[in-house]
Amino acid sequence: MAVPYTFGSATSSIPLSQLDSNFATTITLGNTAVQLGNTVTTLNNMTMANVTVENMTSSTVFGFKNRIINGAMVIDQRNAGASVSTTTTGNFAYSLDRFSYLVSQASKFTIQQNAGSVTPPVGFSNYLGVTSSSAYSIISTDYFNISQPIEGFNTADLAWGTASAATITLSFWVRSSLTGTFGGSLRNSAANRSYPYTYTISSANTWEQKTITIAGDTSGTWVGATNGVGLQVLWGLGVGSTYSGTAGAWAATNYLSATGATSVVGTNGATFYITGVQLEKGSTATSFDYRPYTTELQLCQRYCMAWRQASAQTYLATGQCISTTAALIVLPLPVTPRVTATSITVSAAADFGSLTAAAADSTGSTITINTGSVASITINYGATAAVFVAGSSTIFYTKSGATNAYIYTNGSEL
Amino acid sequence: MRTYKLYIRIGKTEADAAITTNENGSVTSFLFDENNPDYQAYLEWLAEGNTPLPADEVNNGS
Repeated sequence: MAVPYTFGSATSSIPLSQLDSNFATTITLGNTAVQLGNTVTTLNNMTMANVTVENMTSSTVFGFKNRIINGAMVIDQRNAGASVSTTTTGNFAYSLDRFSYLVSQASKFTIQQNAGSVTPPVGFSNYLGVTSSSAYSIISTDYFNISQPIEGFNTADLAWGTASAATITLSFWVRSSLTGTFGGSLRNSAANRSYPYTYTISSANTWEQKTITIAGDTSGTWVGATNGVGLQVLWGLGVGSTYSGTAGAWAATNYLSATGATSVVGTNGATFYITGVQLEKGSTATSFDYRPYTTELQLCQRYCMAWRQASAQTYLATGQCISTTAALIVLPLPVTPRVTATSITVSAAADFGSLTAAAADSTGSTITINTGSVASITINYGATAAVFVAGSSTIFYTKSGATNAYIYTNGSEL
Repeated sequence: MRTYKLYIRIGKTEADAAITTNENGSVTSFLFDENNPDYQAYLEWLAEGNTPLPADEVNNGS
């Protein structure tokens, strides 16, 4: 086809219609500003380098693209990389930040950040590692899952439960010692709408990226812009027939995985590692949304706040002595919690101390929650000896050498 | 076997909170708030016929 314009000497605008499929020669559009028409122009499959964009809009790329928090598995406030036993049954319990487990039988697997110390996929430094503790044969009513519930404020724009329900795409990197068809599910807060999905792990002990695109649910009740559960993402590690359904369709019931999916808990020592989890609006899995560490940590702190030993004798908070043996300590919260915490977990009371009026050490005998608020957690500090003066102020700290000292809040998670 | 012990918060006169020791040796304390999962687990434990240890008389939070 003859090209009707010589680009180098063109003195008038060139219609894009001339650049059709027959124009196969590589072109350079000059070294000055080039205007590509004044109507909508679709540019497919282009790689552009050094592009300056003055104005751009997108429904999926900018802002809070990834609705999953801690998808790169960087934050582990509660455990600092230690292994977690799945002892809580029937209710969600947490491991790495924002990632919970849901099991019908206790202690069939453990969860640990970077379990097995394998090399994560390129671009990632951490992963959530599941290790099966036995060869357990699941029964129909069993369920073993890991999950992330997403707060309604972060899913309301998906408009699920309406005719305008948006399509979402879930993507993640996964590695298992097992191969075959694996399953999971998305479900609503009331657990009466769910969508089982499947994916295939082709090679054992090899990181593979999986992408699942799901048309939004136009039925059911989905929590909107509130602090409730807007959407729950689950990965199955062995789910019985009662909670398994046909993959690829919405169902008005509580499915936690897909029928026929591989049971990780069925093989002693089997591993299931996952990272790079992203759930985004749209039908395409885009590149992982790497957020600044501080941003990711603060996002996590809305659901759990941990204070840990940072160096020898880390000062954490101040308080007031109310007797010779007790003080009220106020631990400020850097992020407004989703809901007020009503529980704390403490490594050991003896890991902490609080200064007396003479700036001498004391050692904790008991540390318990007194009250929670949107701004702070107040704790009851009991000393091992009568060293305080009632009415004096005190400074609360981690003891020297208590390298694993921690306090974290409970009750703010979804 | 998990056990629970009641405690009296500073500023309170009656026990409305409890502590329990976890598998890894850490201690969880929680208020009797129906939305708290730890309290819900405590209620299930009570429903199984268990009884918590009483609170210490001294109001030092223990």
